[in-house]
Amino acid sequence: METRLNKKNWIALGFLLIHSVAILIFTRGFLLTRTELPFHSTCSDASLSPCLSSPVPNHDSNSDSGSGHFNQSQPKCWTKPVVDRVVIIVLDALRIDFVAPSAFFPEPKPWMDKLTILQKLASANDSSAKIFKAFADPPTTSLQRLKGLTTGGLPTFIDVGNSFGAPAIVEDNFINQLVRNGKRLVMMGDDTWTQLFPNQFQKSYPFPSFNVKDLDTVDNGCIEHLFPTLYEDDWDILIAHFLGVDHAGHIYGVDSIPMVNKLEQYNTVLEKVIDILESQAGPGGLHESTMLIVMGDHGQTLNGDHGGGTAEEVETTMFAMSTKKHTTSIPPEFDTASCKQNSAGKQICVSYIEQLDFAATLSALLGISFPFGSIGHVNPELYALGSSSWNLDNFELRNFGSQSAVKEWVENYVNVLCVNAWQVKRYIDVYSNSSVVGFSSDDMSRISDLYSAAEQNWSKSVKHLLMDSNGDEDSTKISALKEQIAAYLSFFSSLVELARSKWTEFNLNLMITGFAMLVISLILQSLAIFHGDKPYAVNSGLSTGAAFTLFIVLVRACSFLSNSYILEEGKVANFLLATTGLIKLRYSVMRKTMRKEAVIFLAMVSVLRVSIDIGLTKQAATSQFMSSSPSWMLGIAPDHPALTYAVEIAPILSVVILICVLYRVIAKTPNEGLWKYVSVCSMISYFLIALLWSSETNIFGLDGLLHVIGGRNRIPQTVYIIGLVQLFLLASARMFCAGNDKNWAIRTVALVSACSSPVILLSRKQGSMLALAYLLAGFCIMRMEGVERRTKSDGQNKFSKLNPLSVLQWTLLSICMFFASGHWCAFDGLRYGAAFVGFDEFVLIRQAVLLTIETFGFSIILSVFGLPLLIPIHSQTPQAHGEKRYQLFQMYMLYGVISATTVTATILCVTIHRRHLMVWGLFAPKFVFDVVGLILTDLLICLASAYYL
Amino acid sequence: MKEATKKKKPVTSIGVCSDASISASGASFVYLITGLSLAVGFWVARNKFSVDLVSNPSLTLCLLWSIEFPIVIFVYSFFRRSPEKFSYFRALGRSIIGLFSGAFMNALGAIALGAPIGTQYLPKTIHWSFLMSVFTFVPATAVFGASWTDWHRVFASMKPSGNIEYMIFSPAYGAIIGGWFGAWPMPLDWERPWQEWPICVCYGAIGGYIAGQIVSLSVMFFLRKHNKNLKLA
Repeated sequence: METRLNKKNWIALGFLLIHSVAILIFTRGFLLTRTELPFHSTCSDASLSPCLSSPVPNHDSNSDSGSGHFNQSQPKCWTKPVVDRVVIIVLDALRIDFVAPSAFFPEPKPWMDKLTILQKLASANDSSAKIFKAFADPPTTSLQRLKGLTTGGLPTFIDVGNSFGAPAIVEDNFINQLVRNGKRLVMMGDDTWTQLFPNQFQKSYPFPSFNVKDLDTVDNGCIEHLFPTLYEDDWDILIAHFLGVDHAGHIYGVDSIPMVNKLEQYNTVLEKVIDILESQAGPGGLHESTMLIVMGDHGQTLNGDHGGGTAEEVETTMFAMSTKKHTTSIPPEFDTASCKQNSAGKQICVSYIEQLDFAATLSALLGISFPFGSIGHVNPELYALGSSSWNLDNFELRNFGSQSAVKEWVENYVNVLCVNAWQVKRYIDVYSNSSVVGFSSDDMSRISDLYSAAEQNWSKSVKHLLMDSNGDEDSTKISALKEQIAAYLSFFSSLVELARSKWTEFNLNLMITGFAMLVISLILQSLAIFHGDKPYAVNSGLSTGAAFTLFIVLVRACSFLSNSYILEEGKVANFLLATTGLIKLRYSVMRKTMRKEAVIFLAMVSVLRVSIDIGLTKQAATSQFMSSSPSWMLGIAPDHPALTYAVEIAPILSVVILICVLYRVIAKTPNEGLWKYVSVCSMISYFLIALLWSSETNIFGLDGLLHVIGGRNRIPQTVYIIGLVQLFLLASARMFCAGNDKNWAIRTVALVSACSSPVILLSRKQGSMLALAYLLAGFCIMRMEGVERRTKSDGQNKFSKLNPLSVLQWTLLSICMFFASGHWCAFDGLRYGAAFVGFDEFVLIRQAVLLTIETFGFSIILSVFGLPLLIPIHSQTPQAHGEKRYQLFQMYMLYGVISATTVTATILCVTIHRRHLMVWGLFAPKFVFDVVGLILTDLLICLASAYYL
Repeated sequence: MKEATKKKKPVTSIGVCSDASISASGASFVYLITGLSLAVGFWVARNKFSVDLVSNPSLTLCLLWSIEFPIVIFVYSFFRRSPEKFSYFRALGRSIIGLFSGAFMNALGAIALGAPIGTQYLPKTIHWSFLMSVFTFVPATAVFGASWTDWHRVFASMKPSGNIEYMIFSPAYGAIIGGWFGAWPMPLDWERPWQEWPICVCYGAIGGYIAGQIVSLSVMFFLRKHNKNLKLA
């Protein structure tokens, strides 16, 4: 007996290990993680760099020329500011072929050549206006892209260190640097910006972004505020984020009339913006040194999808224009432009830029310190656009001496790159030291070699070349500088390549390996159900119940292939649960037994579905993929006094009922010593919970109670302590009183009641009612167990001890409980408030444990531990005991198989949809929840089989 | 007691078979009438009221069941059990009760499965459950009345005997299963108007109803004939 017992525990442990390894492997390939560092760059940091702290000497006298805000007395930050104001117009989901002339593409399409003003400017004046093809890094969703653009990094799905729940960016970023350097920001349009940067904007006009069907509200709001703001002088940076193109793509696709209309509307808006800027661009004017940037945050496919990494999604565009007419032409080595003739025969060029470089380049242009975590480099072409000749007065000189202008530009650029390279190297060093999953030492040493080579060259020769302004001949000097620039650029490119491989690319091999391991474990686990003790083993064909179970499990697994079913997973589970309930009802009518139980079960399912509906409306309020429809609302006003009264009373009443039920159970069972006392402890916990809740309402006049017992944290802490003591007692009783384990029921009751009190406490008021519904439904499942078998005698040998349908019902019921208790598979569905029940200060591990108990309490913890309750209590003979023990093992294995099947389906779905629009918004959170759930289930099955078997 | 009823059952059913039986061609005629009345319902909704299931589900469903219901009770009351005891009009009367109780049961089942509750869905749910009741409960009440053993045998044990019981059993289960499958597209994000409750469930139920009729017809034509041949041999 003992050996078999151990073997079963080992089997459960084995599956826990296999699942963990498989999930770990899959996750390594799928969920790329990056650690957010809390450091910020400051102006004074630059003195640590080997670069020139003062501007290049021979141009020192001109540094006050272009700038109104930066005069000689104000210390320069990292680089010399070259533009004063920046207007950033973000057109969401701007494809490259919306802006670039159709000559660049195989054939002209209706949506091309609509933003004609940008093309006109770029072809007429290629030194002050330029079209770039911008490369965005996946995930190409607006939030991740805005984060990437402003931090200059590569945001992944899980940026570890993300603030608890709120999306606000805590990493150092461009916007943050602007604020630190005293720049004034104005924002209008997409409210994602205000979520990311809650306090940074001096003025903001946010508009709700999640109503995809609304093409105009955000855009009209933007336009309304944009033009007046352009005439004002109380800002330095203006951000206007238009959403129309993105929404038109999502709803109608790219090849549609609304899309073309939107683009034409943008063209007129941009024309007007450029008119205003140019009218004020004269010397001393408001926009004397302003840069206009029109950019997309990501592209979109022809269907309007984005989120993945296909060429259509990552290729977006950027148009940059400086109001200064005379900008530097850069050496051909750094020019990435490819030029074509457009239909009118004019030459038009498109250069190349990476969005990664945006934060660094703009920081350099504005003369502020670079964001700490930026890994981009200052783009030469964009930088050249802003940096016109340093002194407006000597542009005649430039006309006959373009060589000297080039030299001047290169000298500046090399210094900027030097600071830039130093900053990136600093970030990478700090990152690999502080992150758990840093870079490999090989990669790090390669990067370090490249950097130190460039740096040595800099300090040895180039620095002196720059300091010594009247030294060598221009041509040798320029070639030396260019060499230095090339060295820096090779450092940047190999670093970015490394970072990309680490942070943006799925590893399909790992993903497939993990998936295959899960499938194999699934097969093994299904075999484990039937394998084992021969006397009780079953090897007959599928019974009706088993076939139906298989069908339902497969339906549920397949439902994960569609995003819509994942969104409404609670409803799907409820639908399937009700279906099994109806089947059971049919059988119970046929057998003429348990009809009452079947009806009560269906009634409980209906109660749960109402609760799930309420949860769904909460989810819809925050989800960007769902529209809220308060259709379930009954015609009662929510603040009706009777209703509020009922809401206050009902939870307390259900706790009281739970106490009564527990009392009945304990009173009925024969004296079993310890188990009984543990259950009595739970009754005390329940009572404390009821006391806590009634003192929180003002109906009973128990307000003063909290003061008497010393704060509202006292009761929850007592409940936790009682729970821990109970668990400790149960574990020690299991270890030392081996002979005393004949009666399952009382042991299960003791364990479940011990676990339930913290769960109910954490779930707040709805917890007790749900626990009651759960209890009732579970009781009905137990009573209805086996009604679908042909006859009693038939049941003896075929599947005698395993009833798959009731295990399935139990699983579905617990899934319904997850959704009915107001959870959903997204991080904003976590109830962070629950982590602070009983505690005021934050301790990561403690609060995480509480949050886990709250999230998975009903759906996994109580469900796994309560599974033995499904075995009906008939015979108490010792022989029946061994048989039951085997049955329990089978039930746990079946429970594990059902959970693992759904997780495998989720993983398959995530693999298929890894380039899907909603992969980061929907599939990945679902994946995380499922995977955590599976590991927890396996772990608890291990514990439960150690406890029961 | 249980044993007794069990033993009795075959006797009664055979007896019934012999006196209120219906031939396969008769069954197809009945099906033709019920199918036609459904079609008439759709036609009236479209041409007289210019509505359809998508634009105005409640009115269309109301028209459908109120046209289908009289036809069904008129036809099925001819096949009532023990006609010597219960008159034709009594059969009509009890099927009206059957309509309401069946609608109630169907509505409860739909709500347990997740049909939206709320005031704006109430008329749709009511009319839908009336239609489902016409498909499932009304023929059975017209034929069996309150004879619980017959109900139990046909619906719970799924052991119909005789053509008329197949005619009740098969379309009724067809409608329920069809409705169950019809609910599947509802959560999908295709944003089609027919995904609203109860439109696609109606389509599913009607489709399942017709499929059930076809199945029962084929059972009658092939299996029954086969059985007869066997018996003759």
